[in-house]
Formats: sequence, structure tokens, C-alpha cells
Amino acid sequence: MATTHTFPELPLFDLQLRPQDLEAVAETLRSGWLTLGPRTAEFEQAFAAQLGARHAVAVSSCTAALHLAYLAAGVGAGDEVIVPAFTFVATAAAAVYCGARPVFAEIVSRARPTLDPEDVERRITPRTKAVCTVHYAGYAAAADRLSELCDAHGIALIEDVAHAPSATLGERKLGTWGLAGAFSFFSNKILSIGEGGLLCTDSDEVAALARSRRSHAMTSGTWQRHRGCTDTYDVTGLGFNYRLDEPRAALALSRLSGLEADIARRRELTMRYRELLAPLQAVIVPFADEDVASSSCYVMPIMIDEDGRQAQLSARLRERGIQTSIFYPAIHRFTAYRERFPDVSLPITELASRTELTLPLFPHMTYADQDRVVAALAQELAHP
Amino acid sequence: MSGWRVPLTEIAMPEQDVQAVMDCLRSGWLTMGPRTQAFEQALAGYVGAPHAVAVSSGTAALHLALLAAEIGPGDEVIVPAFTFVASAAAVRYTGAEAVLCDVRDARDFNIDAHDAARRITPRTRAIVAVHMGGYPADVQALRTLCDERELLLIEDCAQAIGARVDAHARQAGTVGDLGSFSFFSKKQLCVGEGGMVACGEERLAARVRLLRSHALTSGTWDRHRGHDPAYDVVDIGFNYRLDEPRAALGLSRLQRLDESIASRRRLVRGYRERLAALPGLELPFDEQAVERSSHFAFAVLLTDRAARDRFREHLKEQRIQTTWYPALHSFSEYRASVPAGELPRASAAAERHCMLPLSASMDERAFETVVEAVQGALASS
Repeated sequence: MATTHTFPELPLFDLQLRPQDLEAVAETLRSGWLTLGPRTAEFEQAFAAQLGARHAVAVSSCTAALHLAYLAAGVGAGDEVIVPAFTFVATAAAAVYCGARPVFAEIVSRARPTLDPEDVERRITPRTKAVCTVHYAGYAAAADRLSELCDAHGIALIEDVAHAPSATLGERKLGTWGLAGAFSFFSNKILSIGEGGLLCTDSDEVAALARSRRSHAMTSGTWQRHRGCTDTYDVTGLGFNYRLDEPRAALALSRLSGLEADIARRRELTMRYRELLAPLQAVIVPFADEDVASSSCYVMPIMIDEDGRQAQLSARLRERGIQTSIFYPAIHRFTAYRERFPDVSLPITELASRTELTLPLFPHMTYADQDRVVAALAQELAHP
Repeated sequence: MSGWRVPLTEIAMPEQDVQAVMDCLRSGWLTMGPRTQAFEQALAGYVGAPHAVAVSSGTAALHLALLAAEIGPGDEVIVPAFTFVASAAAVRYTGAEAVLCDVRDARDFNIDAHDAARRITPRTRAIVAVHMGGYPADVQALRTLCDERELLLIEDCAQAIGARVDAHARQAGTVGDLGSFSFFSKKQLCVGEGGMVACGEERLAARVRLLRSHALTSGTWDRHRGHDPAYDVVDIGFNYRLDEPRAALGLSRLQRLDESIASRRRLVRGYRERLAALPGLELPFDEQAVERSSHFAFAVLLTDRAARDRFREHLKEQRIQTTWYPALHSFSEYRASVPAGELPRASAAAERHCMLPLSASMDERAFETVVEAVQGALASS
């Protein structure tokens, strides 16, 4: 068993929960009611209100939320869903769960690594049922243009908002531009609780479908039966166990109160990173300074201008006690996807995947930590 | 809160369980780490299986067990009709067809090996044996059948952790090729939402582990510990991970599982003694089954559906919560797949049974309240 702790001194992310977060979980456990009860309902209401969406349906993961969102968009066998390849594999896998084919589209550039609406438009066919856009690293993709494009073609826009709680485009929160948005509460996310996710939507039908399918398409749940509302149930479709439980809902609800402060600190650290990184000629820092204020600043991605140095730089920084990551290896290059969906070529995505490096970023990171990361990076870049 | 004098189940949460979760939360590491590994080791030891893989639910466990068994489109899997709907749904996720089969009898409402045998076709790949309510199905007969017909046997132990399937004290989940378990909030070992796959073969365990986390060749924990940040995705996987707080809770509660099952068994014996001679009421299963069961639920049988519904109504008036499991072929989603009148014993079991309150922490007063209400219900009918 792997119990030897060889932690990097400066990790990619680090989570510190507040005493009130722990207390919220402890209270829930002591209540003895652990699944789909009042805390889940309260969290859903609070999240929906903060987001400005009509409905929020808490689920077991963002993958589950994406699966339900695609099902709600009517995605089924033989259909196509246009997704970026520069994202976590779940964005595409959830389409495969529906029996559909993920069609990979290009990002705009390494400086703006979000879905390119023009490339999306070129890939729309009569089989396209939905487009899923990812708000990479917490920065808005062109959801406005994608929304217009999808409307014009009568297809659904789904937003993968795993990185971007409370981020905005114009006056609107991300996640509210399409038919549904899928959020993640995974342990390294901004609003982390362990495993968890949420589907938001303004559509009553989408919300009803998500609620039904998250718990085996049963017409009543344990909580309703406990409250004596109903005695039995029917099963009206092929559903899943995508439920979130009460302790995680309580943790999410408690942490939601700290979300804005957390994001404010991430923005401050991100702006400081951008200043420190600006003199480095060999580095492209994606997005612009003016994008930071509307981003949730989930991670700090950089692109090494020169191809072929990613693995070496990552290893050298690790030797210096600095953990980095790659957000993301391109999905269409993975073995599972090359086998099933061969001959996909996305040159910008591929270059971004080969040159991206994600630097440590978490709210209690210090300026000294940042100085150390950037100094180490500058030195390693200067010595090939 | 609920207004029930006696709810169907109650969860006792001793302070040591709460503290186990608090320690985990304070550590700041919430997914796929040392607590999940420790929980898996302890579970493997408990059920007596070489491998245990913790997952997000019993449904996920069965789905992954079926995928590890390479069940897919075009295949058929035989599933009893008297079970929770997940037993059949998980088969359908793989693209295979769930072929419903009958149970032995309303008084022994587990899968009937003879009826299962009748439903085997050239496309049949596996049989799912459900240990309903915690009462062990006849897995010896099913094992023999599966071996003869070259089928896989998968045990759905969602309600049966700690049940023993034979005189050698072999546990539910260890006779089949794979066993799936649930740690849902009402279960004997509960964490909220959670589950596990147990199996004998390393190859199958590796497959379950891979598919539980998106078929990634390395996890967040490996990368955190300084392994290479690069990874490949080698199949279509899922997010069926359990997180660390739930693993910590499960590990803490596992220490008391045997004790908790013994309490449930004591209550069941008490119920059986007090309810044995009541006219209009039958008790399913025999003393040997009671000894071997891990007692998720306590079922009584009424003469027919109308009598059962009246019985439940009477208990509800006494503010005693009960439940029952509809047969799968009575649901809108499954009705069309089964001709009317088929699976008569599963239908009878579903229509005649009623589950009475049962929890490890149920006290004497709650027990007496239920017994008296049951006696009253039958006297008034």
C-alpha cells in the first residue's frame, strides 16, 4: 500500500476547510439523515439563487451532471455532440455514455484556449444534437456566440462549468447561457467537497428529468416516503444513482458562503502571477489581464512558447519541490479515443496540450510561494 | 420531523464516527487517498475476498462488476424480478438486456435457479443473484448452473453485507465471480452514498479500479505524490469514485458491523417469536436462513395485496413506517418486457410482503410498539 508520503513542498492545490465547514458536516452526521434530504434541498436553493438559475440539481459528480445534461438535450445513439478536446475526458465520455459520438472542435489559440465558434459551426451536421463548451480554467468561452449559433441550428448548448463557479460573461453567470450547466465539486475544485456535482437549468423539463434520472427514475424518494407523502413509487425510465448525500450537501452549502472571498483571493494571486510572468519571453500566459475580474481563476495555466520542453520543465520543477500539472492532454490523442474515433487532427489543441504547464494556485498560497514558482520557472527556462 | 412513532430505519452515529470524518476533512485530502485504501483492505478482510474496490454506490458497483465481466451490447443477463430496480438498470447501462426471472416462492423470495436455467439462451452471459433483504440466495445451485453453462455469476449483495451463504461461513459476494455491495444510508454498513466491488481475480479488480476513475492510467493521488503528470485514457470509464470522508466513515463503522448485524438478528428473532402464530400473517424464510442473513430488512407476508395494503394502512395510522418492493415487471419501464401472468412468484412476493421497522439501534419500546400494532392490525381485519 502506498503510504509513503512524498508530498511536493508546494502542491498544485491545497485545501483548508474552516471550522464552520467541519461543524456543518458533523451536525449532519449526528442528525442521522444521510441522503437526499433537507440539506441537499437547501444547498440547491442557495446555489441556484447565487447563480441566478431557476433550478439546481445536486448530483454525485460533474460527469454525472454532464451525462444528465446530454440526456436532457435528447442526445442518444447515433447522435453527435461537439466538444473541445482541450478539456478533461469526462466532457466527451458523457456523450459516449449516451451512445453518441463526440466530435472534437478546435480552440481559438494558445492565448485563448477555449472553444472556437467558427470551428464549431463547420462541424455541425444533421446528427449534431448539442455543443458542450468548457470555460477552461475559469475563463469564459464565447458562450454568447455559441448560444446564438446553437439557437440558429436548433441544437442545445451545454456548459461544462466544472472550473467556473460564479464566473461571468457580460452580466450573466457562466452556466446560465445554455440549456444546462454542469458544475464540479471535486476535491481540487474551487468549491470542493470530495466528490460532487450539480446541474443547473432554467428549464422545468430539464430539471424534472435530471431529478428523476439521478435517482433511478423513481417517482418518489426515500425522503418523501419518510415524510409520509407517499407509500410507493413507479419507475418511469432508465435512471441512475447520481445522488449527492447530505454530509456533502452540508459541506457544499457551508463552503458556498466562502466562495466569493475565495475567488477574490484567486484573482489577486492570478493578477500577481501575470505581472511576475510578463517579462518571461518564453512563456505565453493565456487570456488577458482584463479577463481576470470575471474569471473564477480555478488554475494558473501557462504555455511554454517552445514545443518539446513540457515534460523536462515539469520534472525539473518537481525536483525543486514545485508540483505542476497538464491541463489538459488532448482527448482525441488518448488510446481509448484514437481507437474509437480515429483520424482527428486539431493542431492548435495538440500544440497547447504539448506546451501547457499548470502552476500551483490556491487561496492561502503566499506571495513568497509565487515568487519561488516564477523564479524557478525562469531559471529552468534559461537553462535548456 | 417525520411524525413517525417508529420509522423504518434509524441511523445511530456515535461520536467516534463523526470524529473519523472530521480528521479526514482537517487533513485537506478528500479523494482516493490513504483512507480509501485502508477501507478497501478492511472490507476485503471482512468479506473474505482477495480484492475490494470502493465505489460511489451499489448501482455503480454492479455496473462495474458487469463491465469487468465484459458484459455488453447483444448479451443477456438474468436478473430476478423481485429486487431493487438497480439490479436490472445496471445490466442495461452496459447495453446488455436484463432478462427477468422468477423467485423460488413468496416465502423464499430469492432467485430460483430452475427458472433461471429455463431462461438461458445462447446470448446469456451471466446471472445476477440478489440476496434480498440480506437473506442469502442459493448461490451453490447457481454456481453449479453457471459452471455447467459457462456463465458468470455476479452476486448483488446491496442488502447483504455480512450474510453467510453456507455452513462454512462463506460470505455473500465471495461465491460469485464478482460481488457488488451498497453503503447507502439505510444499509447495515452505511456512509450516505457508497458501494464496493469484491472479487477473487486480480484481473477483474484491476478492471474495476480502472473504470471507476475514467480509465485514467494514473490518479490525482499518484500525481500528488510526485509521479509523472502525464496520463493516458485507455477505455470509456466513469466517475464512480468514493471520496475520503465517506471511506473514513465506512472504516469507522465497519468496526461495529458484526455487532450491528447481531442486534438486527436478535430483533428479527424477537419479531418472529411474537408474530409466529398470528392468523393472516406468514413469516418468510426458516431458522437457518435467519441465522445466515445479515438482516437488512424484516418482511412479513399477508394473504394477498388487498390484505397487505390494509395492513400497511393500519400501521401508518399508528404512525409506524413500513415499505415494500414492487416487482420490476410492475413498473412502467419494465411492464412491456414481460407477458402478463409471467413471474407469478415474484409478483406474489411483491404484492404480499411488507417490511417492518428494523435498525440495529431499535429499542425495546419501539419493538413493542410495532408488535402491538401488528397484532392490532390483524385482529381488526
